[in-house]
Amino acid sequence: MKVETKKIIIGILSLLFLASLILVQWKEVTRQQIEAGHISPHISIPQSSKACVECHRKGTPSIVAHWENSTHALKGVSCLECHTAHEKDPDSFMHQGRRIATIVTPKDCAGCHVQEAREFAESHHAKGGNILASLDNYLAETVEGSRIPFDPHSKTPGTHYMSTFSDGKVNGMASAVSGCMQCHGSKVAFHSIDGGQINVDDLKPDKDGFPTNHAIVTKIKRDENGKPLFHHNTWPNTGIGRINVDGSLGSCAACHSRHDFSPRRARQPENCAKCHLGPDHPQKEIFEESKHGVAYRDLKDHMNLDAKDWVLGKDYHHAPTCATCHMSGHSKNGGKITHDPGERISWTNRPPVSLRMDTDKNHKVIKEADPVKREALIADSARTKRNRMRNVCLHCHSPDYVDGFYKQYDDFIHLYNEKFAKPGQKIIAALKKEGFISEKPFDDKIEWTWFYLWHHEGRRARHGASMMAPDYAHWHGMYEVAERFYMELIPEARELIHHSKSPKALRVKKVIDDIMARPEHQWKSSGKSSRKL
Amino acid sequence: MNPSRRQFFKNSSRIFLAAAIVAPLGMFGQMVIRFLYPKKRSDHWFFVSTTAKFEPGKSTTYKTPEGQSVIISRVKETGTVDDFIALSNVCPHLGCKVHWQGDDKTFFCPCHNGKFSALGKPLTGPPAKANQELIQFPLKIEKGLLYIRVPSESLFRISKLNSKHRGCTNQRRTPA
Amino acid sequence: MILKLKGWFQERLPVSGEQIRELTNEPVPNHMKHWWFCLGGTPAFLFLLQIVTGILLSFYYSPSTLTAYESVKYISESVPYGHYIRGLHKWGATFFIASIILHQMRVYFSGAYRYPREINWMIGMCILLCSTVLGFTGYSLIYEQLSFWGATVGANIADSIPFIGPLMKKVLLGGEAYNANTINRFFILHAAVLPCVLAVLLFIHISILRIQGISELEFSSDKKQKNKVFNFFPDHLFTEIIMALILMILLSALTTLFPAHLGEKANPLITPEMIKPEWYFYTVFRWLKLFSGTFAVLSTGFIIFLMFSWPFIDSWFRRKTKYQEASVWIGLFSVLIIISLTAWEALVVH
Repeated sequence: MKVETKKIIIGILSLLFLASLILVQWKEVTRQQIEAGHISPHISIPQSSKACVECHRKGTPSIVAHWENSTHALKGVSCLECHTAHEKDPDSFMHQGRRIATIVTPKDCAGCHVQEAREFAESHHAKGGNILASLDNYLAETVEGSRIPFDPHSKTPGTHYMSTFSDGKVNGMASAVSGCMQCHGSKVAFHSIDGGQINVDDLKPDKDGFPTNHAIVTKIKRDENGKPLFHHNTWPNTGIGRINVDGSLGSCAACHSRHDFSPRRARQPENCAKCHLGPDHPQKEIFEESKHGVAYRDLKDHMNLDAKDWVLGKDYHHAPTCATCHMSGHSKNGGKITHDPGERISWTNRPPVSLRMDTDKNHKVIKEADPVKREALIADSARTKRNRMRNVCLHCHSPDYVDGFYKQYDDFIHLYNEKFAKPGQKIIAALKKEGFISEKPFDDKIEWTWFYLWHHEGRRARHGASMMAPDYAHWHGMYEVAERFYMELIPEARELIHHSKSPKALRVKKVIDDIMARPEHQWKSSGKSSRKL
Repeated sequence: MNPSRRQFFKNSSRIFLAAAIVAPLGMFGQMVIRFLYPKKRSDHWFFVSTTAKFEPGKSTTYKTPEGQSVIISRVKETGTVDDFIALSNVCPHLGCKVHWQGDDKTFFCPCHNGKFSALGKPLTGPPAKANQELIQFPLKIEKGLLYIRVPSESLFRISKLNSKHRGCTNQRRTPA
Repeated sequence: MILKLKGWFQERLPVSGEQIRELTNEPVPNHMKHWWFCLGGTPAFLFLLQIVTGILLSFYYSPSTLTAYESVKYISESVPYGHYIRGLHKWGATFFIASIILHQMRVYFSGAYRYPREINWMIGMCILLCSTVLGFTGYSLIYEQLSFWGATVGANIADSIPFIGPLMKKVLLGGEAYNANTINRFFILHAAVLPCVLAVLLFIHISILRIQGISELEFSSDKKQKNKVFNFFPDHLFTEIIMALILMILLSALTTLFPAHLGEKANPLITPEMIKPEWYFYTVFRWLKLFSGTFAVLSTGFIIFLMFSWPFIDSWFRRKTKYQEASVWIGLFSVLIIISLTAWEALVVH
């Protein structure tokens, strides 16, 4: 081969080499571009929490991993920012040289999330713990369970190894603990050294959450490291209306699961469906049946669920979730999120008879009937609330469409209220007043019937109508309400007074007869073929 | 072919050859330089404290992810970000660490007796001559929360380095 | 202007261009015009490349059990062109050992190791061994699962050598088992000691070659040419440049298409299901699996000894018997065994 030929070959090869280097460079550039999009932003462990993270990476590696994926980690908010406790906090204890507390309450979160905490505190969510004295809890604590521990019929073989059963007694609160409280929230309590419970009522915390009853603090049972022992009936618990020992209400982790506090998750209906499902308020199932839920299921991937602000009309358009309508910001309100889901709800369908959501300055639903007095009490009217919701609807629906829907919804609620709820309420009240059933709840069959009617079927119907699920509005709803009313409630009420000729019985009979004589119930007693009516 | 034309062809082929060899070498050299040139540090905003808890006159030491100390103090009470000042503890003269002297309320650099006021202004020593102030880190307030912008990237995750040497007990306590 | 600069240098360094040409212009035998005979120059170029990329990598590499893996990851993922430089180093190493083996096979089959070149053959053998150890220590530096367990297994193989084995293992690992000192030792061996040894060996290898001259071969097609030699500069240098360019293109392509892999971080508690050394150890690895510890180690040692002393065995054999070309058949047979053992190891899981 001649030298000249070699020169030419060298020239060609050099160019090839150049080409291969350009290829390498091109790959490098694209790789960096891809990574820039994919690599999770660099998280930082603040110096203060470095020791926590290093140790817990071994002990509870997944908690650390959850946290590392959180926005908190990104912004340098770590363990101690939330778990640091004050010496005066009854639940505080020393752990590896730091004073911390196990339970992070809304009061702790409020240190930074001021607005969110305030809205949440005003919401019905925060008051979920009030159930502890309500009718539902009488069911779980007394009817299903027992407020005092009781002796088993016989020892279940093998249970003597289990420390919970070591005293042999049955914990009658178990149904309330695992059921009611996990959604509604427990009243967090410590074990007391004398065997009882110490909760917020004993501690009497001041506005900073520090207990004013110092004597009781010394009675809190602690382990050898000084860590306070929570009563197992009240903790673990992330019910949304948890009543904390610092006097604050609720648990942010109920929706914003710890320790990644994922906004993405809180935006998805499954998050709400921990509680909002089932026979008495199947909001999740209703949503799934509705066109909204169908669209969400199909188009979830287009919903930009990781967006920073997640503003409807800006960040996403395809479908609504629970959060979209009830909480999240949208383009017509400047993207303002609310942590009070009641802010956009115009009817409360929770009680036996639905009420307009005119609320007073304490965010309570106003029950005053007199229009003038009522007007004076209103701090935030149902009309205002509906307008807030209407603005969400208007992203996808025309004003006429929205107003038309609300007409249909209002009519439905009126129908339920007037045809079944108010009559039912009247009959039960009359029976109670005249002594045919006792004041004690759930000891008479008709009380269960009435409970089914309004608490299960009636709510199903109303929720179905409110969120566009026809099958829940009708077959799971009004159909069953009607059947319960005509085939059980009325016959049972008549049965109760049937054997008596006393004036009491006659008074009740008149109530029932008056109701059944009304034109909307005429079809039943007229005896004529319904077809002709 | 006339001689001058031949010469021209010979010259241009030489230039072509030289260029063909130099181009990939230059490209490779450029890659090596990019490889060796330190990566740009990435700065991030990190949460420091809520402004409500940070009373005027108070100061706190914030440690950056790289371990450097930043002295953050609140000097005013207007409620804006100008209330706060975040000073690096690295002397701008030759990089020694300054420390706070409580008795005359100055930052003191032991290397060349440099002194700085509480606001980071040079008072004496070489920094005063060259009018070098202590470096300030940017701060911002968002929804009542104070954030600082500091470098967050280090060579690689040094945080894992010391974990093996640190005593870390992992005893599981049995619930009473 | 250029002349002035030239004069300035000439004054201070009285070396003329002619002298430099004289010094480098080793006459090269004509058979070197055949591309097969550039296999000696290839490792030389690759050695330079390994030095350059190795130095670049060591700017970021951090030899400690706590940081080694992270720093390699950092090089591969974060540093601009880090994966390219690392890929060049990795593929360069593979090519380096491959070219040495090919070069050795060429020398063997052309009989270029015979008198008077026995010493250079043995130095060549040292170069081969030195390169494999370089490969082994280098691979172990990554501190990923396979390289960690490779190092552990390698050290324990050394352990089974009688008498000196345990000492070797302890010196290599800096303790009874892989510990915090080990990776430093591997790093110093890989980045300082062995490259220096290799450089000295290569220098001696090439010096002896220059003193003795390259062994001449005649091919039937060459006979018509008058000159038996041609100029190193520029003719043969151009050949080498072409080889270097081809190598760089190949390496760049391989680095882009098959980037250097980074497996899971080493976990001293779990041995991976499939554990394999680098490909050039496949033969030895399979051999060690075939026979029990000490025998396998000793037989490997014996085979290496045979390879070392082959020039003398060969000449003794040629003096005593009439089979003058027996070495070719023995060589073919050995290559066949090596290839089949390597293929065996490559194809099976365990």
